[in-house]
Amino acid sequence: MTPDVWLLLALAAVALVLAAWSLWTVTRLGRLESRVDRAWTALETQLRRRAGLAAELARDHAAAMGEERARRLAAVAREARAPWTRDRELAENALGRELRELPDELPGVPAALRADLEGTWTRIGLARRFYNDAVRDTHALRTRRLPSLLRLHASHPMPRFFDIEDGLHELTGSVGAGRPRS
Amino acid sequence: MRIGLVCPYQWDVPGGVQYHVRDLADTLRGMGHHVEVLTPAEHEESLPARHVTWAGRTVPIPYNGSMASVQFGPVSAARVRRWLREGAFDVVHVHDPAPPSIGLLVCMIATGPIVATFHAATIRSKWLAAWGPVVRPWLERISGRIAVSDFARRVQVEHLGGDAVIIPNGVHVDAFAHGPALPGRARGVDGPTIGFLGRYDEPRKGLPVLLEAMRTVVRHHPGAQLLIAGRGDPDAVHELLGDDLRAHVTLLGTLSEEDKAAFLRSVDVYCAPNLLGESFGIILIEALAAGAPIVASDLDAFASVLEDGAAGVLVRRGDPRELARALVDLLSDPERRAHLSTRGAQVAAGYDWSQIARRILAVYETVVPPGSGAVTAAEYDGPAELRPVPDGETGDAPLRSALRRWVQR
Repeated sequence: MTPDVWLLLALAAVALVLAAWSLWTVTRLGRLESRVDRAWTALETQLRRRAGLAAELARDHAAAMGEERARRLAAVAREARAPWTRDRELAENALGRELRELPDELPGVPAALRADLEGTWTRIGLARRFYNDAVRDTHALRTRRLPSLLRLHASHPMPRFFDIEDGLHELTGSVGAGRPRS
Repeated sequence: MRIGLVCPYQWDVPGGVQYHVRDLADTLRGMGHHVEVLTPAEHEESLPARHVTWAGRTVPIPYNGSMASVQFGPVSAARVRRWLREGAFDVVHVHDPAPPSIGLLVCMIATGPIVATFHAATIRSKWLAAWGPVVRPWLERISGRIAVSDFARRVQVEHLGGDAVIIPNGVHVDAFAHGPALPGRARGVDGPTIGFLGRYDEPRKGLPVLLEAMRTVVRHHPGAQLLIAGRGDPDAVHELLGDDLRAHVTLLGTLSEEDKAAFLRSVDVYCAPNLLGESFGIILIEALAAGAPIVASDLDAFASVLEDGAAGVLVRRGDPRELARALVDLLSDPERRAHLSTRGAQVAAGYDWSQIARRILAVYETVVPPGSGAVTAAEYDGPAELRPVPDGETGDAPLRSALRRWVQR
């Protein structure tokens, strides 16, 4: 056989390997995309739930926490329930701050509502970490040299990290049963 | 909730991960969930009759001075597939999925929410650095990652990508808090005793440091006794002892779970003089639950369990003089011991399985979207082919199903 045939064969082999690898990578990217979607749905559900509970608290128990505070809480809760914008993180942070500053004693507020609100903290912390984890995996794969050179999934938007203060250091920091380490 | 737990280590060999899976399964069942376990075992008949499925045997491979167990191949894959199909789980929870084990197989085969716990007890980082990129495509399918400690989380972040939330190991606090003491060794009655548990011929457990410190302790407390529990070569210890300590040291050998609890309830002080990194100080939590005041070396894992010294005394690792001072002081101060004992019980309560299982359940509920279908094995024929798949996934479906058919055979 002539060198030309060998060259063609080699090129064909390289093309085949590249095609197989691209298919495999596109599969991975598709899977990651649906994981990001699932994680975002979970996070969004928890965030909406918190905003809903906060709005309920502000509406039904304004007297217990004082009119001024209730008005502020209602305002930030409304902001957080508005359709998604780039400022969503800020709105969630404002709501979080307002909720953190609630006094420990709120006469007349059902314990179940307080417990539900407390519960959403943990859930948001978990959901946010799992979402960012999925985003991180996606970034890691898409920014590798070959996938970006071949423009795999380049038409899909790159998912964004979602960063809010949730004050849950125990989830990533100390091993202890909840006490944040300095 | 229908939950599938996957333990990659042989069920009938004692080990931290096995106990973790067993206790988690029991606790979740107690909370009214349906839990199935898939695990390899040396002897199939050693498994409980119900809710535990045998996944074959692992192949021991000598690695880095110890044995790593590997289980991978078409037969195991078929077992995993059948278990997933029959289980119809809402969520599958795998443990240590990075090595080639049924945990990794589940990640490859299952479609649906997967949660993984990284224990990182037996994996060396050199091995992981090479292996991590290989298994990454399948570990990417995990929706929620849990690490049992800061250390396990760092290993996971460095080598396997992604992040993890920290949920520590659990302990059945009640089993340690209440019960009899060892006969003739009741705490506070039969002369002061110091406890040590661990493989005593492993220098990194720090027994030589403790023995050195004992020489000072017996000068101040002539009745003091050191009780050593765990496996090891007794002759080696006797050599270390010398004539002056022989009367003050008792070897208890390997203890059963009940005896271990009794041992921890008996000692006046529990000492963990370890020199090198432990991933997680489960024994410290058991000692706290049993009300034993603790003197431990200042490893990260120990410091965080002992809340930086609030729930126990921390001493510089490998320093017999500081250890001796801490032991002597604690043995002559019953009030301090009582205080540490009370504080320890509060700390241990946070690690009780009821608490830990609730936190793990919150992870399950976060990754399982409401109204979603069950976890199942990836289909390779039949109606599942018709389900809408993201573009790209259709492309190599024939290739993958051919592979799967081959795997099935």
